[in-house]
Amino acid sequence: MTAASRDTAFRSDSSDSRDVTRALRDPFIRLVRVRVEDRSGVLQRVTNCLGRRGLRLLSCSVGQNADPGTLSLWLQVEHGSQPADQVAKQLAKLIDVVSVEDLTGSHPLEWVTALVEIPAEADDPATAELLESCNAEVVRRDERSLLAALSGTPEVVEAALERLRQLPLVDWILSRPIGLGSGDPLSADQSSNTPREWR
Amino acid sequence: MSASLADLGYDDQEEQTVAAPLCGAEILLESLAREGVEVIFGLPGGANLPIYQHLPNSPIRHVLVRHEQGAAHMADGYARTSGRVGVCLATSGPGALNLITGLATAHFDSVPVVAITGQVATATIGTDAFQESDVIGSTLSVTKHSYQVHDARDLPAVVREAFHVARTGRPGAVLIDIPKDVQQQMVDGSESKIARLRPHRAPAFPDSRLLAEAAGHLARAQRPMILAGRGVAISGAEAALVQLAEACDAPVGTTLLGTGVFPTTHPLSLGLVGFMGTGYCNKAVSNCDCLVMVGMRADDRVTCRMDLFAPEAEHIIHVNIDPAELGKTVAADCQIAGDAREVMEALLEQTPPTARPEWRAAVSGWRRRHPLRHPHNGLLQPQEVLAACYRHRRADDVVVADVGLNQMWAATSWTGDSPGLFLNSGGAGTMGFALPAALGAQAARPEQRVFAICGEGGFVMTFQELATAIEAELPVKVVILNNGQLGMVRQFQDDFYGGVRSQVDHTVIPDFELLARAFGCFGRVARTLAEVEDALQEAVNYPGPALVDCRIDPEANIYPIVPFGKGLADFVECP
Repeated sequence: MTAASRDTAFRSDSSDSRDVTRALRDPFIRLVRVRVEDRSGVLQRVTNCLGRRGLRLLSCSVGQNADPGTLSLWLQVEHGSQPADQVAKQLAKLIDVVSVEDLTGSHPLEWVTALVEIPAEADDPATAELLESCNAEVVRRDERSLLAALSGTPEVVEAALERLRQLPLVDWILSRPIGLGSGDPLSADQSSNTPREWR
Repeated sequence: MSASLADLGYDDQEEQTVAAPLCGAEILLESLAREGVEVIFGLPGGANLPIYQHLPNSPIRHVLVRHEQGAAHMADGYARTSGRVGVCLATSGPGALNLITGLATAHFDSVPVVAITGQVATATIGTDAFQESDVIGSTLSVTKHSYQVHDARDLPAVVREAFHVARTGRPGAVLIDIPKDVQQQMVDGSESKIARLRPHRAPAFPDSRLLAEAAGHLARAQRPMILAGRGVAISGAEAALVQLAEACDAPVGTTLLGTGVFPTTHPLSLGLVGFMGTGYCNKAVSNCDCLVMVGMRADDRVTCRMDLFAPEAEHIIHVNIDPAELGKTVAADCQIAGDAREVMEALLEQTPPTARPEWRAAVSGWRRRHPLRHPHNGLLQPQEVLAACYRHRRADDVVVADVGLNQMWAATSWTGDSPGLFLNSGGAGTMGFALPAALGAQAARPEQRVFAICGEGGFVMTFQELATAIEAELPVKVVILNNGQLGMVRQFQDDFYGGVRSQVDHTVIPDFELLARAFGCFGRVARTLAEVEDALQEAVNYPGPALVDCRIDPEANIYPIVPFGKGLADFVECP
């Protein structure tokens, strides 16, 4: 990509970042898995690193993994006018970062969870039928409301959530995705000697 | 996770010395001494007093600055000149925050500096205690890494790792924040808690196919060109650069930070590239068919309008130790992450010597048609002052430029043939850098002369460090190119902002000769070239700090210059 084409590709603002499935189809968004040392302030370093470079963090999930002492971050980052590989390259420079994998386009399994709160007065057979059709499980019920949980791929859960919004929901929350799957690892120990498209 | 002291590079004997009960401040000072620290530039305050309590018992020299920004610049100048890690020390709150400009300056230019800050006691962190500041958060963008130490037992490992991080790979600034109670915490050496030393993430040696590809591009080129930056000096690649340039018959331009990495008297030297680079260098970049960029970032001051940068180049080879710099601005087709010296030596092995007389003739033609020129209007010209100054400079004397027109005049006039002798704030462009950085350079090289080239605007930002110069016996020679205004801003307003001169005239300027004397320095005003020569002679003969206030043509500009929005080949020359 030439500098000129990068300029024309610049996008100063993004569409709705609440859409967690956008990363699957938006060419400006990178899906990145970062393994970091579990140290105080590490999230601040990651978010600052991205913000400093004009890279917009759309989504961040933090979780434990099989490697004790490290955390896995599952990020969606809009790179805007910056070259796409800057996301992984800049993160790899952080001292607390163990490895970075840019999973964009590699179709890893992504998983999200949603919780919905339905008022008790709407707790009826029709609601139960709708919840069942959405694969949502009632996880708590009291005199005020019932809570249902659903999980799955972002597309499935977002679609289900859209249907559940027909109900008079008290509130709902949709997690950002976590994921697993192979990508192109950019280990912090490796360089990036990869020829790029030129002119 | 832990490691033995041997893993951290300490031998058994050193390990035994840790055994006696020590407080955190003593452990810190011992750890710094182990890193070979000779001098700390600092200022005491409430939250670092335990360190100062034990400093007199340390072999490390301390230079007392008058403002913490000066401490950071001094550590920076020391590091650039010595090749070692510079160290500065400040207290919490405003003291720590005053370091930030200096840390940014060092970090931007890949200079290894370790800053140590006192912090309020652990129990009061986050309570808005007196002189508390979030120095870790405040410095995230201007440091390579930072540490807040919560246990004095961690100090040996933290110091070890901080220095390792600062000086390896692409060097940079590192900060260690130490709460006051940790400085006072008594530790039995036998219970030292050692974390592991995280390894330097060196790029793998470039793939041989990639090197062969780059060498092939160079061999087939008819009009090769090399641009070199400070990375060449950091890796010690100056000799390899000369050999590669001669083998390819490729002219060499340098970035502002790369000034001096290629001998200015070499026939292939084209001087400075970019926004205010020489016309013949910018012509060569604009006409080359193969461009090698080594040890440089290629920022906007180098490239100017990006789509007009090296438009004839069929291949661009970019070599940088930081992979993130590759493809960041210039989409080079051959991107090599690696150490400049290793890569150039490898390229040299695969590059057969080839004469390119037609290309050299074309470059010589541009050199003749676009020489560096300045007006001759009877007023003192800055280039004349600099030529006189450089004549008084011995081969290994150091020159530190400030920021603004003085910096560009000093760089384009530079005549040195040895690397590492011309320092300036290239990335951050920090006015006020020159004097304190020169003091740091002088501390690193007490046997050499160190000149600080300033405008009067930058000088007044940090001139209080003249007191440091006297007190610490650092006999720097300050040359002020005094045009009575913010000259570069004035030129931009004249050339690019409709000629509206707004807030650029200094209507109140101190009498610098008197000011110098007030601090105990030698001071002299010079209004003619003859007076400049005499004053410089007196200044270099004077055993202590000296200042020469040169009253230059107030309308003097920097030329050539590339207008905003134009390409390198569109430079404007001196009328």
